[in-house]
Amino acid sequence: MSERRQMGKPLIRPVNTGIIPEPVLIFLKNGIPVYLIDSGTEDIERIEFTFGAGNVFEDKPLLSSTTNLMLTEGTEKYKSNRINNLLDTWSAFYHPFTERDRAGIVIYFMNRHIEKILDIAGEIIFHPVFPDAELKLLMKKRYRKFLVEEDKVYRLAANQFFESIFGNQHPYGRQTLPEDFGNLDSTLLRDFHASFYRPENMAIFVSGKIHNDISFLLNKYFGEIFVPPAPAKKSALFLSRQKERFIHIEKKGALQSAIRIGSPSINKRHEDYQGLKVLNVILGGYFGSRLMKNIREDKGYTYGISSSVISLNLTGFTSISTEVSNKFTQNAIDEIYKEIKRLQSESVNKEELSVVRNYMLGELVRMFDGPFASAESFRSAWEFGFDNSYYRRFADRIKSIESDELKTLTQKYYNIDDLYEVTAG
Amino acid sequence: MIKFSKFSLDNGLRVLVHEDRSTPLVAMNLLYNVGSRDEDPSKTGLAHLFEHLMFGGTPEIPDFDTPLQLAGGENNAFTNSDITNFYITVPADNIETAFWLESDRMNCLDFSKKSLEAQKNVVVEEFNQRYLNYPYGDSILYLKPLAYKIHPYRWTTIGMDPSHIRSATLSSVRDFFYSHYAPNNAILTLVGKITPQRALKLAEKWFGNIECRNIAKRQLPAEPEQTEERIRVVERDVSASAIYKAWHITAARKEGFYPCDLITDILAGGESGRLSVKLIKRKKLFSEIDAFITADIDPGLLILHGKLMKEADLPEANNSINEVIDELKNKYVPAREMEKVKNKYESSVIYENTSILNKAMNLAYFEHLGNPDLINYEADLYRKTDKHMVIETARKYLTISNCSTLYYKSKRKER
Repeated sequence: MSERRQMGKPLIRPVNTGIIPEPVLIFLKNGIPVYLIDSGTEDIERIEFTFGAGNVFEDKPLLSSTTNLMLTEGTEKYKSNRINNLLDTWSAFYHPFTERDRAGIVIYFMNRHIEKILDIAGEIIFHPVFPDAELKLLMKKRYRKFLVEEDKVYRLAANQFFESIFGNQHPYGRQTLPEDFGNLDSTLLRDFHASFYRPENMAIFVSGKIHNDISFLLNKYFGEIFVPPAPAKKSALFLSRQKERFIHIEKKGALQSAIRIGSPSINKRHEDYQGLKVLNVILGGYFGSRLMKNIREDKGYTYGISSSVISLNLTGFTSISTEVSNKFTQNAIDEIYKEIKRLQSESVNKEELSVVRNYMLGELVRMFDGPFASAESFRSAWEFGFDNSYYRRFADRIKSIESDELKTLTQKYYNIDDLYEVTAG
Repeated sequence: MIKFSKFSLDNGLRVLVHEDRSTPLVAMNLLYNVGSRDEDPSKTGLAHLFEHLMFGGTPEIPDFDTPLQLAGGENNAFTNSDITNFYITVPADNIETAFWLESDRMNCLDFSKKSLEAQKNVVVEEFNQRYLNYPYGDSILYLKPLAYKIHPYRWTTIGMDPSHIRSATLSSVRDFFYSHYAPNNAILTLVGKITPQRALKLAEKWFGNIECRNIAKRQLPAEPEQTEERIRVVERDVSASAIYKAWHITAARKEGFYPCDLITDILAGGESGRLSVKLIKRKKLFSEIDAFITADIDPGLLILHGKLMKEADLPEANNSINEVIDELKNKYVPAREMEKVKNKYESSVIYENTSILNKAMNLAYFEHLGNPDLINYEADLYRKTDKHMVIETARKYLTISNCSTLYYKSKRKER
């Protein structure tokens, strides 16, 4: 329509990430660090208690996650039903989490309930009793969920992929087996809890419209806990990638196959990491990525395809993941390698680079939009020993990275002969 | 309190704006009054396929995503039985780019054979990935036609069958666009760092000259009252049997809606919900169980579903659910429990309101229901729901003759 053409198109202004402020840091009497991000419009707060208590510290599969899930299944003061009832009555949203490196809990709650929430959080975190009957039921439920997961081609490929790139001994790679669900008892959980859910292994992140008395209240419920120091426990297990780089897992009757391609890689502490993040967006990290444009939008092989670069404490990994119609599995794999080779041999042109730069700067703005998003973003830099200056450097890197650097990064971190290829279906 | 301004353009487009200075971003939501209920029974899945085609470019702007990404923006969309909803978040400085893009694809689409063929494949793969090749994913494809015999809610938004999607033609797609996509059939909301004046000015500039279109009048057959229990059994290669139950309830935000919503929380809200306490923890019949309402614009469903522990059998599990329902019909819900579910509702609304995108979506949806003020006072309607309303609602809707039950039987032997 000519009328619309005459109107021209709006001028696009450079995306400004603004000032990314640092959280306020205070220490409780016993030394627990607390990071405060005070902003927001609603009377609601988010509190995260995080511990170095992730999978990496477990010597049996499921130990760290089960310890974490059992925190609300009974404490010295309260029975399981009572805890759940109280959390629901005070309209809190309780999210336990276990990651590869860290575990803990996140609670969203209304400001007016703060004292009750902190009281119960203190109980859950420091005084769980791990009753046998509840443990037995939890393991039964988890086993059922595990069986459902094992029916997903996506899950089969992911599990094998991590075993291939990290080894079947290390907790980063080890697969959970049906018999693992019968191998835990309350003594193991108590020991794991006593070793890792400790004040010196803990940090607290509070965000939202923060209560005026937060420092006093946190000291009251968490600052008076002193436990005798224990020697730091470290995993004696080593990461070791496996020799076989190509594995197919057969799943009878599957309509689609899941594909995972990637390799062990660097983490946030490495100087190439931020550049690799930019490269990842171009390859498969957003809707306009090379992989999406080719394999979804042009070929229609899949509902979605994405790539990621993930940072773990001991290492990192790159991964490309998709589910495709069985008849196109090989075509999709070929196209994935073709896109990688293109990035290794041809320079990304200015227009594409500028789209990616602005998209990523917009993402940075969204990552700090509001107190809760800011808290999550800060935490994921903090666990690698950084503060928000990590993101300020990242913004500079996004703006400064050039095409030839991206080419070099692809050659270095997506060397075809290093990549593992797992399919399930 | 979410303060908003409302305008109507001459072509019928409604525009609602809530200024929120706490964010550097603006969320734009564009709701089209068209969903899978508007489809021809022989061409189901078209509304959702069409949502995909909306990203296929126009004669003016061949690539929708790139300019938005250049502006630092992000976008997506969803389709359900009632609406098709497009949304964008973008740094406030670049909000005009969002107006330019959304108005352009309302104005005209580039219907290319290539884009249609590719998106047909993408949607068929979506069908496979989310419904057919996913454990229990096809249950909803059986439950809906069991509960609805006449009304178009009998099919799922993805479509009755992938063959419907494969057979979509360029002309059916073009017809669909001109009979549903129009300023007079849409609601635009803006939430974030933008003044109502600027939003109105930009809406007039970019949407103002799109012509009003003839919208096909919606004449949907009413679903006749269900008079006897319906049961269907399917056998699948899954790890455990599951049960799905659906009761017909009222339409979204009509009388009885709020008690129905609270009933799902009483039954299945959190770890302290009745079904969780009684059937997972005490009787150990289920490994997971949940309940929700479909919140459809025409009379919807209350759906309850759970996966069984391996030892449990389906009729026993079904009876145990019915016992919990009977208790709800025979005994008033204690005051504390009422308070608990209402508190939980309140905090979930407050939590939702921390996101500009949620606010933009909700404002559009409430305007679509004919009452945007609900965004502020719906919490009161939940607050006012009492134990009498809950028991009456349970007695009215949660009857055996109003219920459809799908037994999803595992035919696998435990390894």
